Amino acid sequence: MAFTSFYFLVFVAIVIGAYYVTPIKGRWLVLLAASYAFYLISSPKTFVFLLSATVITFLGGWYIGAQNAAHKSYLAAHKESLSKEEKKALKAKVQKKKRRAAALILICNFGVLAFLKYFKVYLELLADKLGGIAPDLGVLIPLGISFYTFQAAAYIIDLYRNKIEADHNILKFALFMSFFPQIIQGPIARYDHLAGQLYEGHAFSYTNLAHGMQLVLWGFLKKLVIADRVAILVNQVFEHYGDYSGGIVLVALLFYTIQIYADFSGGIDIARGVAQMMGIEMGHNFMRPYFSDSISEFWRRWHMSLSFWCRDYIFYSISLSKFFGKMGKRLRSVFGDRIGKLFPVLVAQMATFLTIGLWHGAEFKYIAYGLYNGGIIILGLLLEPYLKKAVQVLHINTAHKGWKVFQVLRTFSLIVIGRMFPKAVSFSAALSMYASIFQPCTAPFVGTLFSLGLSGGDFVVILLGCLVWFVISWKQEKGLRIRQSMDEMPVLLRWGILLAGFAAVLVLGVYGPGYDASAFIYRGF
Amino acid sequence: MKEKILEILTDIRPDIDYTNETALIDDGVLASLDIVAIVGEFNEEFDVEISVEDLLPENFNSVDAMVTLITKAQE
Repeated sequence: MAFTSFYFLVFVAIVIGAYYVTPIKGRWLVLLAASYAFYLISSPKTFVFLLSATVITFLGGWYIGAQNAAHKSYLAAHKESLSKEEKKALKAKVQKKKRRAAALILICNFGVLAFLKYFKVYLELLADKLGGIAPDLGVLIPLGISFYTFQAAAYIIDLYRNKIEADHNILKFALFMSFFPQIIQGPIARYDHLAGQLYEGHAFSYTNLAHGMQLVLWGFLKKLVIADRVAILVNQVFEHYGDYSGGIVLVALLFYTIQIYADFSGGIDIARGVAQMMGIEMGHNFMRPYFSDSISEFWRRWHMSLSFWCRDYIFYSISLSKFFGKMGKRLRSVFGDRIGKLFPVLVAQMATFLTIGLWHGAEFKYIAYGLYNGGIIILGLLLEPYLKKAVQVLHINTAHKGWKVFQVLRTFSLIVIGRMFPKAVSFSAALSMYASIFQPCTAPFVGTLFSLGLSGGDFVVILLGCLVWFVISWKQEKGLRIRQSMDEMPVLLRWGILLAGFAAVLVLGVYGPGYDASAFIYRGF
Repeated sequence: MKEKILEILTDIRPDIDYTNETALIDDGVLASLDIVAIVGEFNEEFDVEISVEDLLPENFNSVDAMVTLITKAQE
């Protein structure tokens, strides 16, 4: 059931109605029933995978939580009698038990993910190389598997790190693993942020309902009016990349940069809006990423739930590990203090971006996308002192607005260039498309541009849509809270804006056969 | 200890007013690279073992919180 389908809107209306008519204490049961119904309608054949991940994670979490509790109570009871060494030895013993359990659960969950999502692709690649045909394994990729697997891993690692307490109610935990607005494309939630909100019932609030609806409407506008419109041009060029060159490829790349943001952030807005209508505040996943002044900052603003997941569970785990710390110390004598200190960070950074790349898919183009981003950040770290020196020598005033604008444009250009990898049909197609940018257009630019499926009117809609989006984002950057400020508008003006938005979705939205919009890009991840 | 911590922090990120900031992590003032550098310096300077398990926002939100963290790690 796609977010943009009519059935989804009816489904949400029924769930919200049922949520508020059910007594507060039982409202989480409505969410669980709705989430399982949503999954069973959307992907019935793969439901068993969600179920098994839920049970494995719940039981494993219970065990780790029990170790934490037993350790804590033992320490409390023997606080005075235990020496520092004894406490240390006890901690190490408990850690070992927890580590084994956590590793087992992570291997189980990630093993299923790897098999279903990656094994098939590598098998096909291998068969292709050997000139044969890969056997059909008959398995489907479960809906939202990357999202719920990463969410489950965060739960287990947080328990291992003793940051949270284990859940003791499997039905409630099942809801945490399957909450329907987020199962398709996130955001990847953390247990300590979301679970409590799901379990406690929320009283009806008109503000929450209105703000949630406004966010959903905004998500629909981005998805149906902008993303699905630019997609027409993007798909035409990327699917027939051999036919185009020069500026056309560049336009397609720029349009894809718009499409992926409108598509993904639109879907997240719909998910967050639906949750907010029931008083549940899901984490942000985007913070106006195209205003970033560096690639590092971009990844703190883009797909934040994945970036922060990688930061907390990969980047810190590697960069602060004893092993890489010792390696760094050894390297200091060879490469100097700075590189020695940077070494664990560089390794951690590369591992992080390799994971981000692989998260999107098994093909090499996704790995290249991760390495491209990680490579730029690493290069920036290595060249930092030289770049600072260059800024000094050139007398650049880094506090000047012009410098900030330059940094934002430079970062945006790097982002646009990097988008080629995930969108191109393959890694070699990406390289060939890069090369084709520098070749002259085989046909007149303007004529070709208007032959890619978009009319002049479509270009005007895209331009106006992006302009409205830019102004709103700019205002948000300056600290304005759009929906709160709309509350203070005169009623007629507020409703006028909302109705105009609604009309824009109906009239300007791009609908395919049967009025079904194209699927969200991140649903496939 | 507080002075030494301030010295380390200022060395890593001179642009931050550490004496008044109380939400260095919660407000995203310190980036992950800063955190790694800070932990590395703390471990070396104070001969402690701050690990990934200690990376809770409440341990790094302010200079006072960092003093408490290091004191606890030294015990």
